[in-house]
Amino acid sequence: MNAPRGVALLGAASLIIYAVGFASAYELRVLTFAGCQVLMVLGYQLIFGHAGALSLAQGAFFGLGAYVTAILGARYGAGFAASFPLSILLPVALAALIAVPVLRLASHYFALATLGLAQVVLLAFVNGGTWTGGALGIPGLPGVSIFGWTVARGLPLLSLVWAVVAFGAFLSGRMTNGITGLAFTMLRENPLAASAIGIDGARLRFSAFLLSAGYGGAAGALEAHTAGVVSPEALGFNQLVTCLAMTVIGGSTRVAGAFLGALLLTYLPERLRFLEGQALLAYGAALLAAVILAPEGLAGLLARLWAKLEPVVRKDQVRPSPLILPPLGTREPLLEVRALARRFGGIEAIAGVDLTLASGEILGLIGPNGSGKTTLANLVTGLTKPDRGVIRFQGRRIDDLGAFEIARLGIARTFQTSALPAEVMVLAAVAVARASEARVLGTAAVLHARDRGAHRRKLDAEAMGLLERLGAGAVALRPCGDLPPGLARRVEIARALALRPSLLILDEPAAGLAESEHTNLADTLRSLAAEGLALIVIEHNMPFLLGLAGRVLALDAGRVIATGTPAEIRRDPRVMASYLGSAAA
Amino acid sequence: MITLAQLALNALSLGAAYALVALGFVLILNATGAVNFAQGDLVMAGGYLTAWFVVLLPLPGLVLLPLAMVATALLGLAALALAYFPLMRRPPSTVFVSTIAIGLILQNGAVRLFGPEPRVTPPVLGGGEVHWAGLTLSRQSISLIVVAAVLILGQRWLLARTRLGRQMRATAEDRTMAAALGIPVRAMIALTFALAAALAGAGGMLLGNQFFVTPTEGSALILKAYVAVVIGGWGSLEGAVAGALLVAAFETIVAALVSYTAAIALLYGVLVAILLLRPEGLFGEAAGRRA
Amino acid sequence: MNSPLLAIESLDVAGLAGPVLEKVSVTIDAGEVVALLGANGAGKSTLLQAIMGLLPARGSIRFAGEEIAALGAAARARRGLGYVPEGRRLFPGMTVRDNLLVACHESASLGAQRLGETLDLFPTLAERLLTPAWQLSGGQQQMLAIGRALMGAPRLLLLDEPSLGLAPLVIEQLMRELPRLSERGVAILLAEQSVARALTVADRVYALAHGRIVAEGTPAELRNSGILEQAFLGAEIPLSSRP
Repeated sequence: MNAPRGVALLGAASLIIYAVGFASAYELRVLTFAGCQVLMVLGYQLIFGHAGALSLAQGAFFGLGAYVTAILGARYGAGFAASFPLSILLPVALAALIAVPVLRLASHYFALATLGLAQVVLLAFVNGGTWTGGALGIPGLPGVSIFGWTVARGLPLLSLVWAVVAFGAFLSGRMTNGITGLAFTMLRENPLAASAIGIDGARLRFSAFLLSAGYGGAAGALEAHTAGVVSPEALGFNQLVTCLAMTVIGGSTRVAGAFLGALLLTYLPERLRFLEGQALLAYGAALLAAVILAPEGLAGLLARLWAKLEPVVRKDQVRPSPLILPPLGTREPLLEVRALARRFGGIEAIAGVDLTLASGEILGLIGPNGSGKTTLANLVTGLTKPDRGVIRFQGRRIDDLGAFEIARLGIARTFQTSALPAEVMVLAAVAVARASEARVLGTAAVLHARDRGAHRRKLDAEAMGLLERLGAGAVALRPCGDLPPGLARRVEIARALALRPSLLILDEPAAGLAESEHTNLADTLRSLAAEGLALIVIEHNMPFLLGLAGRVLALDAGRVIATGTPAEIRRDPRVMASYLGSAAA
Repeated sequence: MITLAQLALNALSLGAAYALVALGFVLILNATGAVNFAQGDLVMAGGYLTAWFVVLLPLPGLVLLPLAMVATALLGLAALALAYFPLMRRPPSTVFVSTIAIGLILQNGAVRLFGPEPRVTPPVLGGGEVHWAGLTLSRQSISLIVVAAVLILGQRWLLARTRLGRQMRATAEDRTMAAALGIPVRAMIALTFALAAALAGAGGMLLGNQFFVTPTEGSALILKAYVAVVIGGWGSLEGAVAGALLVAAFETIVAALVSYTAAIALLYGVLVAILLLRPEGLFGEAAGRRA
Repeated sequence: MNSPLLAIESLDVAGLAGPVLEKVSVTIDAGEVVALLGANGAGKSTLLQAIMGLLPARGSIRFAGEEIAALGAAARARRGLGYVPEGRRLFPGMTVRDNLLVACHESASLGAQRLGETLDLFPTLAERLLTPAWQLSGGQQQMLAIGRALMGAPRLLLLDEPSLGLAPLVIEQLMRELPRLSERGVAILLAEQSVARALTVADRVYALAHGRIVAEGTPAELRNSGILEQAFLGAEIPLSSRP
């Protein structure tokens, strides 16, 4: 993409020209403060915008960084080289400490826990006695000194701060513009589907939380140096609210948003002096307006404007490369289910089901509404845990594993309703699944650049190969939301195959498809089975299953009432009875 | 030297005021499914409005109380219109942010209108002390408990025994089904909001006599309401009251035994324990609640 | 009857994966019992929800001569549409009495009168007036759900799969009640999975498959034509020759 890069260079150039040529000492200070805010917002975007978790602890991390710098600098005379890394490490350590119990909580609990953390930290520092200077804080911070060299206030300090900001933006952009950013998008929009393609949501959220803490601490440290003084204000709610407002107004998922939001909300109060003392009131009104009218923030609005003005840039033709499924003859039976049971409230959704499946088999699963078909699929794929019973996959017990772990072991699925992220390009949606299987998602992969360049091209090529195999190659560069149902179904199957599964569970794949598409789909599924892939097809459409499945299982009220070939099942009186009701009314 | 009786009374009275805040919080939660971050700031607004009214119309506290409640209810309806109804089809997290924004506006609006100095609200039944059984107790503390009890019981009666209350409860339990039975869902949500805000306003006036009204008290209060509701049981009205009393007990009784900071740390310890061991809270929804 | 109570013309409902209902036309006369048959995913529930106004739909819905397609659910309820959803959807924390009373928007005395009539219809509910709804058995819950819809004195009752999750004996009891309701002048549109059961209570039947009406007629007309099996299982075995 050339436009963002061009804009970034232009912005950097104007900043430099302004700072060197036009700004007074006071204005340089404001610009430096603005830089600290940009850094804080960049970090906050990772947990709030990308991971979609409402953290209210950003102010606490910021303040912690500020205080660590102040205490080490003013009390112990430590230099920048010592205090800065520690100002980052301590918030990260704190985040790591509380992350494990707190991140798995539902959103309002998570917000509460982080708010509580912030309050405790604030209390601790206000009551910290001489250590923290109590309610008055710590004055008289010496300037930045790196191994004896002093970085003076004014232009030198500004350059240091903005250099750190540039690095932070670079790092954040690397993380979120690449394939990991797509994984975050999936996690936000549809966490169940994300786990079904093997994305470890908990680990991604953990990384995002820790990174947000690190950025917050760095920002606080730099602001402490700029201001020369630190007070509990830095830890207070106002700091968090400012950060939140900047993030939402600027745009919570785009790097440019951090710059826009922070600069706007730093400079606007400066320019609009008559709003003196009412800055926060204006923030509140602006935040409300942004949430209602422009949820993607200024950066989002600009991006949409740009997309309207500039046609979509055609990527270089992606040459497809084939993806090899795992070889046949892995431990048989492939899937074994014994005495499986699961209750919801008063209803036994699954009341004792046995089933066995071999590689290359196509098993049909039918049954009336409420018979337990989707519950069975959820149990096998780990979205629900069984009350009783055992599920073995390739000889290994999987009923106590998480959904993403089961996906990684080789069980893929599609859902009844489309689980594709509407705004993401088809190729990218499948590439994310490839990346998940190749384990190149997450911070480590980003830092080792395992998710870009030649690696990314390989993922894209494999994704393209899958799309072509499923007959969806032509739509690879379109957004998922634009697809008609038949193609969307095919893309979902391609994405599921990206996991290199041994077992694929399809939930009503023929629903909403035209008759002609049924034959194509059945042909594709048969060829996949011929290569060794086992399929479980949940369907209502009996004619579709007739030509496809080797064996059919009929469920009713959570139990298997009949098994046999499709022809046998169709004539089975028990099956007729379960669908049509008994003869005796 | 504070006696145990006075301590208990303080705890009960503080808890009663917190209960009003927490109750309003849960009412809105049940009716809309979203968290009202501005609940604490509505309390603050109620306090400021009362402090302002008493200067204009020097009426007795008991007469000012309904006025404060009505005024805050109107503010609550404005918040509903601005922060909830436009976002009804969006995920609850956006409402969280929009109510943070409303809270900001309320806070800074208060500073703009009333200045940053703390204010005092008039006592509801007169100040001073009462002597009873050899103890000296604050009249305001006692009145606070009585008034809060009356309001809480009144709210219970409204919901349990009146037609309106029945419709409000149905809307809170299943909004779509309520509509399918002819219940005017938006009106019921608005009523719930007004009721919750009125309770917040009462809380503001009651708290403002002994603890002063400050613009930033809302942030601390919302946190306490949140903690009370999580401990008591997310969505449970009785739980909100129980949780509020517990929070107050920690802030008064436990704080007197150890230190304030330690007591708060212990309270958060209890919170984390509940989140990990019994996430549905003390009175939380049992598993068999499916119809 | 001259003009029908409910007249739906060319109703379309769009879903995430394509149309869920396509060009559906249904008429119901006052006091009739009409059954809606179809396999899962055929669109029965969707049709009932669309009639009630709980789903966006395109097309015409005329109720008692008035076009209601633009009205919200609450407005339709007030005009005489009663709804008993799949899975009952009672208000779980509220008592039997409250569940019933909340559906009546008339004066207190009229409400008490209707309550009495509903309890006459379902005596087991009278014994449990103050029980919270979540504690009732499946059959009792179904009766409460129907009773609740009746409290609004509807002219048309929309019943979505009332026999789901109920024991056979209870289902038989339920099915016996339905003609009694229609005797009181309430028309019923019943979505039912079990073909045989529906055919015993309905005056007329519509069969849905993949979102379209594939058959309509009286039970007698459909019983021997084999159309139903064709629609549901792709089999050709007529109903009458089943073992």
